[in-house]
Amino acid sequence: MTSPLIRVRGLTKHYQMGGAIVRALDGVDLDIDAHTFTVVMGPSGSGKSSLLYLLGGLDRSTSGEILISDERLDQMDENALALFRRRTMGFIFQSYNLIASMNALENVAFPMQFTGTPVGERSEKSRKLLEQVGLADRSHHRPTELSGGQQQRVAVARALVNNPSLILADEPTGNLDTVSGIAVMQLLSDLHRSGRTVLVVTHDPRMTRFATNKIFLLDGHVVSEEEYKSATLEAAPAGSE
Amino acid sequence: MKFIDLFRLIFGNLGRRKARVALTAIGVVIGTSAVVILVSLAIGLQKSATDSLYGIGDLTQIDVMPTYGGGFGGGGGPFMMGGVSVDSSQLDQPVLLTNSALEQLREIPGVKVVIPRDYLNAGVVIRYQRLEGGMNIIGIATDDLSNLGLEASQGVTALSRGTIVIGSMIPNNFYDPRQRPGQEPPPPPDLMDQQISMVVFKYDQNGNETKKTISLRVAGVLNETGGEPDYSVYLPLALTKSLNEWANGTRINYNKDGYSQVIVKVEDANQALDIADQITAMGFQAITPQSYLQGINSFFVVLQVIFGGVGAIALLVAAIGIANTMAMSILERTREIGLMKAVGATNRDVLSIFLGEAAGIGFIGGLGGIVIGWLAAQGMNVLAIVFLANQASQQGGPPPSVAVYTPIWLPIFALIFSTLIGMLSGLYPALRAATMIPVNALKYE
Repeated sequence: MTSPLIRVRGLTKHYQMGGAIVRALDGVDLDIDAHTFTVVMGPSGSGKSSLLYLLGGLDRSTSGEILISDERLDQMDENALALFRRRTMGFIFQSYNLIASMNALENVAFPMQFTGTPVGERSEKSRKLLEQVGLADRSHHRPTELSGGQQQRVAVARALVNNPSLILADEPTGNLDTVSGIAVMQLLSDLHRSGRTVLVVTHDPRMTRFATNKIFLLDGHVVSEEEYKSATLEAAPAGSE
Repeated sequence: MKFIDLFRLIFGNLGRRKARVALTAIGVVIGTSAVVILVSLAIGLQKSATDSLYGIGDLTQIDVMPTYGGGFGGGGGPFMMGGVSVDSSQLDQPVLLTNSALEQLREIPGVKVVIPRDYLNAGVVIRYQRLEGGMNIIGIATDDLSNLGLEASQGVTALSRGTIVIGSMIPNNFYDPRQRPGQEPPPPPDLMDQQISMVVFKYDQNGNETKKTISLRVAGVLNETGGEPDYSVYLPLALTKSLNEWANGTRINYNKDGYSQVIVKVEDANQALDIADQITAMGFQAITPQSYLQGINSFFVVLQVIFGGVGAIALLVAAIGIANTMAMSILERTREIGLMKAVGATNRDVLSIFLGEAAGIGFIGGLGGIVIGWLAAQGMNVLAIVFLANQASQQGGPPPSVAVYTPIWLPIFALIFSTLIGMLSGLYPALRAATMIPVNALKYE
């Protein structure tokens, strides 16, 4: 049996907030295989975003091990983490994080400035990716001239530009209407089918339709689907999510 | 990250914030142009001062005078003076320019000739036909003025009994004593080969005037030097000696009393200061045009530093503006920094981008500053030259050289300096950007 692409053991992330310690993640163990579409579900404050940022090497854990492709992220320095992200990962954020002063094409090409890709190849690649996400006719529009769904599709194209094997998405449909949300989910599903590993953090249950693997988080712990459902159903009458 | 990508990104980013970059760069433009204008002005002043000094002074000449007590002015330890060993305990002894002292001067390596000279210390009027003039009469112990590096425009430079050699401006010093008010002054006479009379006066205790008239022929007119020789009449030292003896009623013994002044000519202008120092160490007073030059140069270096400092203060204010702009920019672009890191930018990449942007503002401002500074310097030059030429034509002075001079190194230095200032003021904001934790930057509201 092959080892999982992502292997997490005893992962904790504690924050100091005022005088109190917030345990965002409290001893998380999980394995995610390559070429899977994993959805991490959890209500607000469950620690799912913290998990995503730790897996993406964008934050430091308090303790525990993170292995991706057999490399220990928790032991890498900032520089090594940056280079690892550059060649392995693509990120999609809830608020798109497009650069307002750049048009769609420039936004997609942005990560290639750090990889030394030849200039001609950059625009060629960016144009193809925009075509792939259905925005070929919007390549010279700035983010403010695009709808939320279109902006998120530009962000998906940008995540793919360095041809990463792992796509990490943080609430990619969180700011979108139903139709745009489904279009983005479809796009992520297509990426998975093309052989990439996709990990999406969401509290949108519709996402699970596309998932091959589901992880449920509650209060910083991984729980079973049954535990998660009963906990969220119990909480519902009390007025929370 | 490749340098070309970094360069493109930096100027792309600056181009996206044109108004802010322009406003920040204006501070640098003002500072840099102030540095360029003020330092150019100091250099221009130095240049015109030293240029005019080169006209006045012969750089291979040292004027040596005796010291009548009161110290040697430098140097210490025993040395030979007139065959007598003199040491520091005899500081109050006068050190005279006797013939044996002259021999010692001649022995200094690098000295070409040593020529004593003396002024005529009596009332004197030179007459030519109806014209009269008061002149600077110099007796000189050489048979040819070419030994002093002087050249004749007419006649000869050789001095002999009954002849004189005159400076180029001497004819202009003649006036008609009987000229009536409103009457045109006579044109300067052509004195070459003409007989002139030199009338020397002396007065006794009761104020009675005694005159002595000597007839002399003008054997040569010197080329214009821009200095003392232009306004001098040269005659043999023996003649001024006898006239001084007659006027003062005492005999002069150069072996005992020494000469009042000696001209030392050196072989190479570069040695003049060294030789002057050696002569000073012997107890005489030595003056070279180069010592003036040195003093003037060090004065102007101080002036350049002060002027440059005033400009640098303006640049410092601009630097604070750059730091502020960069700090604001980094706050506004925090999420962009987070994104850069998410897509694989290293801390060094982020640092280079923001340092580069700050340096870019400094560079753009510096470029504007040197263009404006240079144009302003040229404008000042035109105005100053027109004004000074007008003054010179009215007052008969020499035509002016440049008032403001910008050497090639100044704009290059100013550009590098303003770029460095920009980079330095962006250092703290850029470091803050580079060391941001990506997740915090991405979540920044």
